[in-house]
Amino acid sequence: MSENNENQQLDSFLDNKTKDLFDKLWNIIEKNINDVSITRIDLEEKMSKVDLIVSIDKKDILNLFSQLRENENLSFDYLRCLTAVDLQDQGIEVVYQLYSMSTKFNLTVKSMLSNDDLNIESVTSIWRGANWYERETSEMFGIIFNNHPDPRNLLLPEDMLDVFPLRKSHPLAEIEVLQGEDIEPSH
Amino acid sequence: MSNKQIETQEILVNMGPQHPSTHGVFRMVLSVDGEMITDVQPYIGYLHRGAEKLCETMDYRQGIGFMDRTEYLANFNAELSYVMAVERLLDIEVPERANWIRMILVELNRLSSHFMFVGAFGVDCGVFGTPFLYSFRERERLIDFFEEISGDRMMYAYFRPGGLAWDVPANFVSRVEEVLSSSEQGIKDMDGLLTNNEIFLSRTKQVGIIDGKAAIDWGMSGPSLRASGIEYDIRRAEPYLYYNDIDFDVITGINGDVFDRYFVRLQEMRQSINIVRQCLANLTSGAILADAAARNLRTPPGEVYIRTEAPRGEYGIYLVSNGDNRPYRLKIRSAGFSNLQALRDMVIGSYIPDAVVILGSIDIVLGEVDR
Repeated sequence: MSENNENQQLDSFLDNKTKDLFDKLWNIIEKNINDVSITRIDLEEKMSKVDLIVSIDKKDILNLFSQLRENENLSFDYLRCLTAVDLQDQGIEVVYQLYSMSTKFNLTVKSMLSNDDLNIESVTSIWRGANWYERETSEMFGIIFNNHPDPRNLLLPEDMLDVFPLRKSHPLAEIEVLQGEDIEPSH
Repeated sequence: MSNKQIETQEILVNMGPQHPSTHGVFRMVLSVDGEMITDVQPYIGYLHRGAEKLCETMDYRQGIGFMDRTEYLANFNAELSYVMAVERLLDIEVPERANWIRMILVELNRLSSHFMFVGAFGVDCGVFGTPFLYSFRERERLIDFFEEISGDRMMYAYFRPGGLAWDVPANFVSRVEEVLSSSEQGIKDMDGLLTNNEIFLSRTKQVGIIDGKAAIDWGMSGPSLRASGIEYDIRRAEPYLYYNDIDFDVITGINGDVFDRYFVRLQEMRQSINIVRQCLANLTSGAILADAAARNLRTPPGEVYIRTEAPRGEYGIYLVSNGDNRPYRLKIRSAGFSNLQALRDMVIGSYIPDAVVILGSIDIVLGEVDR
């Protein structure tokens, strides 16, 4: 979809206040980070609010987030959720759901990691609540969050360091079969 | 011997995972200096069943059952987020009657979950017996009512993408009225037993304080966040279902201490009764399942993050679809997970018996924390 089309669609759905906020947000992103691209715009008609989806390069993540949080017109002070999606050959995508208590604006930020370089900066310095979310994402997908204050396993056993259950390559059924085969039948 | 000559030594005290005060299988290691807690190390994951991975292998209807098993004290609320996410991807309109019934059940479930909280919280404060049994009596009535509707006491699996599994019994309205009036009396009883009780106040006032700013920073939500004075309720901030047409108050606390977290919930129960009464007045007859959802549950590619206000806070479902009849990725964002992280801020500097009360006041359900 071309940018023009997207803008037209937005105009028809958004009231002026929301559109102002969107413009502000868009300006800050454009001003500060060059290689940012908006991949898709999701209009939440039924939730009455807009979830704007933005995808950026992983090296800009701290820069963008600290500005999103500090800027008084945006003040994304609430991290709803942090997770990842395994897109197999394309890599693993880290997804951040942000919310602002004062401006009531929602934003989804995505960053794609290639399979041979699965690490990204930790955002615990921006939202303390990211701590457990990053630990969980790390153990489930094998992503390393750089400068994380406490990079241990959270939900999985402490020594389960080389198994990443939420990756698509982790076979659910076959593991169960293997577990059964481990027990040697007595002859 | 003066106090200065007494040397104190920091020791570690292990609590849980099998401990009656941890509300399930939660373990925390407390570093204590005398009676004072200097550090806390929480351990979770004992109830991790891999619900997210399992949902990737099940079709959308089978996934409903897993939502019940993650949040087992507010199952309707958990199911609601999930079915709304599927509906949003399918882009189907839910019949009006189904939505009103959903709202009634979700609010009644909030009521039963808060009853559970008040009872268990009384036990945490050291009053086993009266409040616990009073609240369980009320909760039992609600659960009996849910069983009449769904056929199960706890694992309802009653919501479907597009509506409800089947219509409610003919005596639905009169039964709801019955349950509401008994709950109203129950709330009055709990209020009289606990709220102005001097011992209860001394255990809860000015204990486990967290200010609004820190609570937001930790990602807290629900009554635990509102107790710190933040007026954030998803039913009001981003209305879903028909909450826009309903008149209710968002209850907030002032001090952000344990007592406020209790009192916010108690008042919220009255609001829930108020909401259900308004829903009953609006209840229409008609279909309970959208035609479009009757058979075909193959969602188009896309993604959606749906959040609703569950009794413990924001219950979010991040659903990614690749066009199949099952989720490509399903992430459950549970309120307890974020709320529990903030435990550290509240517990440090308080005494060991207070740690039990503070943990109780966050009202965690380990099923949704570990998933």
